[in-house]
Amino acid sequence: MITGLGVVAPNGVGADAFWKATRQGVSVLDRISREGCADLPLRVAGQVRDFDPQAVIDSRYLVQTDRFTHYAMAAADQAVADAGFVADPEHPYAVGVVTAAGSGGGEFGQGELQQLWGKGPQFVGPYQSIAWFYAASTGQVSIRGGYKGPCGVVASDEAGGLDAIAHAARSVVHGTDAVVVGAAEAPLAPYSMVCQLGYPELSLVDRPDRAYLPFSPDAAGFAPAEGGAMLLLEDEATARRRGAAVRAYVAGHGATFTGASRWAESREGLAAAIRIALDRARISPEEVDVVFADALGIPAADRAEALALADALGPYAERVPVTAPKSGTGRAYCGAPPLDTVAAVLAMEDGVLPPTPNVTEVAHDLALVTGRARPAELRTALVLSRGLMGSNSALVLRRGEPD
Amino acid sequence: MSNTLNYPELAELIRARAGVEIDPVELERPGADFDEFGVDSLGLLGVVGELENRHGVKVTNGAESAKTPAEFLALVNSAVTAKAGA
Repeated sequence: MITGLGVVAPNGVGADAFWKATRQGVSVLDRISREGCADLPLRVAGQVRDFDPQAVIDSRYLVQTDRFTHYAMAAADQAVADAGFVADPEHPYAVGVVTAAGSGGGEFGQGELQQLWGKGPQFVGPYQSIAWFYAASTGQVSIRGGYKGPCGVVASDEAGGLDAIAHAARSVVHGTDAVVVGAAEAPLAPYSMVCQLGYPELSLVDRPDRAYLPFSPDAAGFAPAEGGAMLLLEDEATARRRGAAVRAYVAGHGATFTGASRWAESREGLAAAIRIALDRARISPEEVDVVFADALGIPAADRAEALALADALGPYAERVPVTAPKSGTGRAYCGAPPLDTVAAVLAMEDGVLPPTPNVTEVAHDLALVTGRARPAELRTALVLSRGLMGSNSALVLRRGEPD
Repeated sequence: MSNTLNYPELAELIRARAGVEIDPVELERPGADFDEFGVDSLGLLGVVGELENRHGVKVTNGAESAKTPAEFLALVNSAVTAKAGA
């Protein structure tokens, strides 16, 4: 079960700020302002602002890590504090760490490669050996917290952000007391952005309010984002013994793979993932109160997602509220589905359906929540994610019981 | 700057390369070791690299594995002095 939430997102640092902006439907997509990024054709993204790593993380960890790990460490600290969790130094193996990563620390790596080719190999710092690596965030969160239980990194594309949560939940079932889990990414640096330019799904639209319009007739790709979320997952009995509040239950998960950019095929794959997740959660389609959509933002992928929902949920797919808050922040790759998971937990707690920013017209048979947030009794949420390389995942969350 | 490294300079290099703030007086205290300050071998390797670049020498005597600041200073200073005397 989920007991703590941590967020570093373009629309807010901390779960409270993130949720306030998410339920208001604020769009924070904007021109990228990072150094060296101005002349690239990718103009609009969700950039984390108001985050000062020096204020929250000891400099010994900052010098040896990339921005993506700064976000993960900060979000992990928040999640653990939010849960009121204090690790027992006598039992370091009772707590694990799992993150998902799509690309690692491109910005750090670029800086060191510039030293290599600009000045020579003797100017490359020793932390190049660890900082860019996609496993860096799991390692550093583990080291800082003294968490020596099962640790891992899920590298399964953007949907890995959901697969990581499922992996952590399995660790808890197998006897680990708590797992710090989630993902954060930092793709807004010159080298990292050049790597993304090859994605046909990337939106190069330069107007922030037009760049990412999933499910709309004007869908023209996705705007990327940085940041992400970390959660604390705990064994229910152990958490209850220490008096922790149950925020939500991870009830079911399904994952499939249908190939890179094969969006028509993702219909079948995503539908299968949804069916598996509902089956594991032992719930019927009609029990799903809200869907947090993958919302890729190109017509073929949006159509496939709408059809996958119809295939898996039947006629109910046209009535179930579907939302995609990420249209206001951009897609933070592996960080996106953990952010949606946090939004789903908070939506269930607050009884509010957050809207899909910037989208006013829907081109598919979906009850997309647009405009303003609206109240709703939410017991069960379905979070969906697909990756550009072909992974499809579905996660079912159930609301925690109020104390 | 003189060719030999002293404690204040070492403290500044550790701050810049390993991100750890240490009072030079603490570094110089008899019995002080890097573990208690949280400076690991990768951090010291960064300091060694910086010194090599500054002085145009290779420090091959294992200074980055030194356990104490005193041992580290002795090793890097012997390497730098050997080059100056060559």
